[in-house]
Parts: sequence; C-alpha cells; structure tokens
Amino acid sequence: MSDYTIIGKRMPRVDSRAKVMGKAKYAADLKLPGMLVGKIKRSPYAHARILSIDTSKAEALPGVKSVVTGKDTEGVKWGVFPYTRDQQFIQTEKARYIGDEVAGVAAIDEETALRALDLIKVEYEELPAVFDPMEALATKTELIHEDYPNNVNIHVNIDTGNVDENFEKAHYIREDTFVASEESYFHAEPYAVVARFDPEECLEVWCPNGGPHMKSKPLSNSFKIPLHKVKIKKIAIGGAFGGRSEICPADYICALLAKKTGKPVKITFTREENTIATRQGHAMITTHKTGVDPDGRVIARETTCYMDGGAYSSTGPIATSVPFLSMEQAYRMGSVRYNGYRVYTNKPIRGMIRTHGRGFACGVDTQLDMIAEHLGIDPVEMRLRNSRQPGDYTSTKSHVGSCAMDETIHKAVEKSGFMEKWGKLPPFHGIGIGTNSVQTGFPMGIRGGSQAFIKFNEDGEATVMSGVVDNGQGNENMLVQIAAEELGLLPEDIHLVNADTETTSSDPGSYSQVSTFVGGHAVKIAAENCRKKLFEVASKALKADPKELVAKNRQIFVKDDPERSIPIKKVVRISLLSFNSVNAEGGYWPKVDMKREWVKNPYGQMCEAFSFGTTIVEVKVNPDTGQVEVLEATAAQDVGYALNPLVLEGQFEGSIAMGGQGGMLTEYHEWDDGRCINPTMLDYKLPLCCDMPKINNIIVESIDPKGPYGAKEAGMSIAMSAAQGYSAAVSNAIGVHLDSFPLTPDKILAAIRAKKAQG
Amino acid sequence: MERIEITLNINGKPHEVKIYPNETLLDVLREKLDMTGAKESCGEGVCGSCTVQMDGKPVRSCLTLAMEARGAEIKTVEGLASEDELSTLQQSFIDHGAVQCGFCTPGMLMSADALLAENPKPDEKTIRKALAGNICRCTGYAKIVEAVAHGVHPQENCCDCKPKE
Repeated sequence: MSDYTIIGKRMPRVDSRAKVMGKAKYAADLKLPGMLVGKIKRSPYAHARILSIDTSKAEALPGVKSVVTGKDTEGVKWGVFPYTRDQQFIQTEKARYIGDEVAGVAAIDEETALRALDLIKVEYEELPAVFDPMEALATKTELIHEDYPNNVNIHVNIDTGNVDENFEKAHYIREDTFVASEESYFHAEPYAVVARFDPEECLEVWCPNGGPHMKSKPLSNSFKIPLHKVKIKKIAIGGAFGGRSEICPADYICALLAKKTGKPVKITFTREENTIATRQGHAMITTHKTGVDPDGRVIARETTCYMDGGAYSSTGPIATSVPFLSMEQAYRMGSVRYNGYRVYTNKPIRGMIRTHGRGFACGVDTQLDMIAEHLGIDPVEMRLRNSRQPGDYTSTKSHVGSCAMDETIHKAVEKSGFMEKWGKLPPFHGIGIGTNSVQTGFPMGIRGGSQAFIKFNEDGEATVMSGVVDNGQGNENMLVQIAAEELGLLPEDIHLVNADTETTSSDPGSYSQVSTFVGGHAVKIAAENCRKKLFEVASKALKADPKELVAKNRQIFVKDDPERSIPIKKVVRISLLSFNSVNAEGGYWPKVDMKREWVKNPYGQMCEAFSFGTTIVEVKVNPDTGQVEVLEATAAQDVGYALNPLVLEGQFEGSIAMGGQGGMLTEYHEWDDGRCINPTMLDYKLPLCCDMPKINNIIVESIDPKGPYGAKEAGMSIAMSAAQGYSAAVSNAIGVHLDSFPLTPDKILAAIRAKKAQG
Repeated sequence: MERIEITLNINGKPHEVKIYPNETLLDVLREKLDMTGAKESCGEGVCGSCTVQMDGKPVRSCLTLAMEARGAEIKTVEGLASEDELSTLQQSFIDHGAVQCGFCTPGMLMSADALLAENPKPDEKTIRKALAGNICRCTGYAKIVEAVAHGVHPQENCCDCKPKE
C-alpha cells in the first residue's frame, strides 16, 4: 500500500491558506447588496398556547420591511422521518420550549429589528410544563404533542432472544443505573444564515450545514418549490459535530423573509440562540443489567434507557439507537434486550452530538470494570475477553468486515504503561481504559449514495464536483488528495467544487461519519474512470497497452520503461483534437440492508464498516477540591487506512478535548424551570489550551475491504471512548465507581467523602 | 446619538470612519471596513475569536470601543501576511495542521503573534498560558501549540516543519 504518491502522506490542508489569512468567508461574513437584518421572536414560556399575535405595531415601525408569523407559512411540519414530522418552523398553535420560534422580522438594521421584536404582541395561555423525562412519562397534564401518548416520542426495542434464559445461566449478574446531563456543541461559529431569491425565483441559501442536500429537501417541501430551485451554496463552516445536519427553523424563516421583501436577508444567532435553538445532546438515564460467565464474558445484557428528547423529534429514532449500537459493535454479547425511550419534554431540541451517549457508554464500561473487580480480572483482560472480532456479526446482524479492536487495546496499553501503573499508583492517582466503536454510515435510503463528476480543462488541470461538505474536519482536502492521486496530478492542479446543491449530485453529507467512505469513494471511482480515458489516448501516443501505464506528477508513463512518457496536458489536448472531452462520473452507494429501519426493523447490515477505538487516561484528583488534573491521554483507533495522518491526529486530539476533557469533566447544562441557565461560554465550561494533557496518537490500520484505500471512519471512536477512559481513570483514582456524568468536582468530593464515611 | 468621524490606523494604513460612540472595534472592522477576519463567537470576551492587536498587545475587539482604538496601531489577521506572502507563523499553522474549521484561527494567530513578538522562544507552558483566552472546539490545541512553538524557529526533528530554503 506504500506506493501512493499523495494518499497516506502528511499533507497540509488545501483550505488552510484562506483561513490563516482571514479570507475564508463564513455565513455571518457575507454582505449582499440591499441585504436586510433578520431576527426571530421566541417564546418566553416552556409550554404555552398561542392565543393571538399582533404584529401591527412592529410593521408600522420605520425601517421594518417584513414581519412573518405562522400564518404566513404553508403549515408544513418537518421531521427527519415521515413518522416524526412534529415541528413547524414558526409555531401556530403552541410553543413547546423557551426559545420556540413564534415570529420573524426583517429590517434595515439590527437595532430596528430588535425593537420590532419587542413590538410584536403575543398573547399566550401558559400550560403546565415538564422538564424531566420520567416526570413527562407519568404526567397527567396536556401532552406536548397530542399524537404521542405518555410523551414518548420514540421507542426502540431490540431483542436477540434468549436473554432471560442466559441470565439464569449467568455466573454473576450486576444491575446499575447511570445518569448524564445534556451537553452542547458550542461550535466556534454561531449559527448564521443568508437567503435570497434570485431573478429566476430560485432560493439561494448560505448557512452552516452537515450536508447541503439535507437542507434543500425540507426547504423545497416548505415552499412547495422543486428541488432544483433550492440552491444551498458553498460556505466555510465553523464546526458541526452533529449539530448542523438538519434544517434549522432559521433557514426557513430567513428564506420566508427574503421572499416577502424581495431582498437578501441575514440572520445571525447570538451565542445563547446557538445553544438553545439549534440542537443539544440528550440527557440520559440508563440501566444496564449484565450477566457474565465465570471468565467474565457477557452472556446476557438488558439495557433500558430514558432520553430527554426536548420539544421535538429531530433525529429521534437515530439518537435513540446509536448509543446502543456503538456498544453492541464494540463488545460481543451472548444475548441482549434493549429498550430505548426518547421522551418529549419542554426543553430545547436534542440531536446527535460527537459524544452522543456518554452516560450510556460510560455505564457499560464502568459496569464491566465492576464485574472485572468482582471476578479478579484486570480491566484490559476484561475488554479483550469481550471485544469485537473481525468476521463477527453484531447482535443486530451487521457483518463486521474489518476490525482491529484488540490491536487498539494492546497498543494503547503498551504506550500508556497501563499494566505497570494499574493498581500500583499512589492514592488519588488513577488510570482507566475505555473502548468504543462507531458506524461508518447509517442506512439513509435514497440519500445514502454520492456521485462525483470530473472534467479536465485544456491546460491539463481538473475540476472535481462533489456534494461532500467540509465542516472543518478536512473533507475538502481528502477529496483533493484522492483526485490528485488517481489522476496523476498535483493537489494544486485540482479545483474542487463542492457542497453546493446546484452543481453537485446528492450526497449524504458529513452526517454519520461517511464522507470519506461514500463521498471520497465516489471521487475515487470518477477519477479512475477519467484516468481510463486518459490512458486510452496515451496508449496510442506511447504505443503501449493501457494496462502498462501509470499516471504521476502530471505525466503518464510506461510502468517498466518510465522514459516513455507524455504530459497529461498533452494527452488532454490530443483527446480534444480527436473530438473527445476528458471527463467522467463515479458514484458509490454503500450496500446496507435497505429493509433495516431504526424503529420497525432494527436488524440487518447497518453500514459497510465500523471503526474501533481505545482511550487510556491517567489522572490525579485533588482530594480537597475534587479537581482533576489529567496527566496524559493515549488514543488508538482502527481507521482502516490513514489517508492523511496529519489530519487524523487533529481529529484524535479534538476528540480527546470534546469527548473526554470537556465531555467528562466540565460540560453540562443547568436548568431553571426549562430555562437553560448556562447557555454562554462564560457559564458553560469548555476545555482551554492550558487544561489539555499530553496526547499520544496511535493510528491502527485494518485495511477495510470496502473502504477507499481501506479507509473508514476516523476520529469518532476516540471522541466516544475518551469519555469512558476519563471516567474510568477518575473512578480508579478515588476508588469509587462513579455513576453520574460529567464528573464535576462536587460529585467527586461527595464520592470521596461517602467512601471515607464508610471507612 | 451623533456619529463621529475618527481615524483608525489598521495594518499600517489610516482608515477614516464615521461611527457611533457605542460601536465596538469588532463591528467597525467587520461592518464598516469589510475586514471580516476577526470573528464574533461569544460576544462577551471569553472566546478570543475577535482578538486583534493594539500597539502589539492582543485585545478583544468585541469588548473594545472603536473610540478607544484611536491613535493606536491596530493589527488584524489581514495584516499578518505581506502581500501574498504568509508570515512564518501563518505558514507554521498550515504545515502543522493547526487549522480545522478555521473560525478561531484569526484570533488564535493574533494572540500567538503577539506572544512571539515579545518572546520568540516560548516554552510549552508559556504558549498554553498565552493562548488560554482563545477557545478552539476542533483541534484539542495540540497542533496549535506545536505550530506556535515552531512558528519562529522551525525544528529539524519535526516532520511537519518546512525545510528552510
């Protein structure tokens, strides 16, 4: 695999230059002629019927160009799935959380728009609200959505059979409950959207997105215009982490204001709006009951999870499944029963987040450590006895093609010195291990595939068109690397056109960690097809069989006789003179089980590849303050094949920061009757440069049989296992298995004191 | 409120602007002068995305009134490169993979540039302290720290440092 020229190399990213010069344009940086400022009026109540809205005073304010309410909409409800369509973009009947959209304003400047918001008079009838999933399940008050009894939005039930029988056979059984609060994305870039209707009445939209094609469909539905009239445009994006995949009501409101005024409109969220009105992570209460044989192998598990879903469904069925799926991929289980309940509450909407399911995964691993302790097995051996192996089928019947889980464990253990340290460290000094697995793709029906186009220009350079979006993780560079490698060009010869619904074909987006595996794959195939055309022309010029040709450094040459060569530019010109342009397309559709459905049929091939990761963390806890000092984190992930180690390391390091340092030690939301009281960066504690430990990156390769060059998802298994590693290390340091996440100083101190009191 | 005409010296050039006294330096840069390199992320002086330099010192332009910047030499991310030639630090950020989504990058660069002007060979602890007011959500800071450490003095044993020409 080492004869690649560009793939597998530490290549600095092509998009970096514009970013270090301050030239990269994000949505809030855009300025269009005649552009108006848009603002959104939000509900101050967690649950309230909207009795009337009077916009007359706002409309009369000089400088106000348009005021829109639910009456101006087509009343379309949005939901990712046909059975989860529960959210209007502007509410007409009632508000379901503090921050729900009730009206929009476009004005000549921000000050006027804000004054107009205050002049909109909304009459509400306040309704009883629920803020806790268990309370919401039992409540006798008005349902949040009348079609969903007991406020249960989604129930996922998975049962492999034989669970009860296997519990009877078990040598040892434990049942433990773990809780975790909501966390937030805190993207560097607050959400912003610019919309306008062009002279041909096409809607143009610039906004952060996890996939432009995921935004165009709901907008097409809402405005009842064809898909080709919705142009989601390319724009630099300041992070996504799972929180920008879906349509945002602001996209629709901005477009509606643009339609009404005939002018471009920009809505820029405040930091608080970005926190409460985009998406958040789910709070979870998870009970794991696990039965093992005398060797510690899991033969039966029953897991019940209650998720605080907030006011609307969002990616509900997926969110309710993924924490379970990650753990069923990571570990073998003889049998399992899972009941996941996503419950509506009068809180902001919850979606997928990089660390989705920290309470769930940390619960599984904490319990494994408790069982191991009981059986006298060390944590590493406990994981190796239960770890996923290549060729296995998961409990929900996905075949695992490539898997180097054990190698990630062995290498992380060796690098961190785990075995020399575990059980031998001084008091309040601990080490812990976590392992996890992440999907490379979800079943996404007709939107699961990606198609790329490549055209050669007469100067021998190429334009690549792909729907893949870059949220910051380096997807654009990945596409350029692949195209340059396959076409025999240099990266600077590739011009990339991407993430634009007008010029690119449908693509699943960066959603579900699938950009390289699907979108990159499509570019690879398109480039191979294009190269075939070049070789046909070159073979005549070089009088050689196309099979003997190689393309590299802008030249095509005979493999065994490199002196016989011709510049690619010349080949393109010869082709054009023979009345043939050099271009090609290529598509890739992952072979998943199309009958698999999140709720109705959660069995079958989930995706074509899974990544596996291990994180080991060493910490010191201050017994007087409960503060945790992280000494070192070691991250090892099976990425299939490392297309660009430089970019990969950055993914690992960012994952340790968000998944472990923030996700397990400081990040959570606090509430007062449904009002988020720490929505800003001043109150919500994000990891800083001075907080971060030394990070050891270990890239493990398993060469996935289906992935492009053998590559699969890269980085997310670290984001997930980091939480587990951090949690295990703190538990090890204080000698108490903690069950409430994140592990803030107050909880750590309480655990230390309780242990002391017990003697 | 009356608008006042002031002169701001930005990246070595004087700019005359009419502003309200309550306008922040960040708003004036972004809205009046089309310099959108400095970003607003938190709007309350926590995240450092809006960092620019005044007389060589990093400041939060979201908490600085444009009026306060009169008479100062203001440097923004747009002023780091001379023409199209990147500064050593900018190139180091690229070569070390210190840029992901890029939203925090301009502020990060301005804090780091100010540090290196004062202390061209900072140790890791000094760098981490100097950048503690700039929040990055993507990188975990590791590659940023490396990029700053090698920003003025590329190191032979670093596989990402560009060989000196």
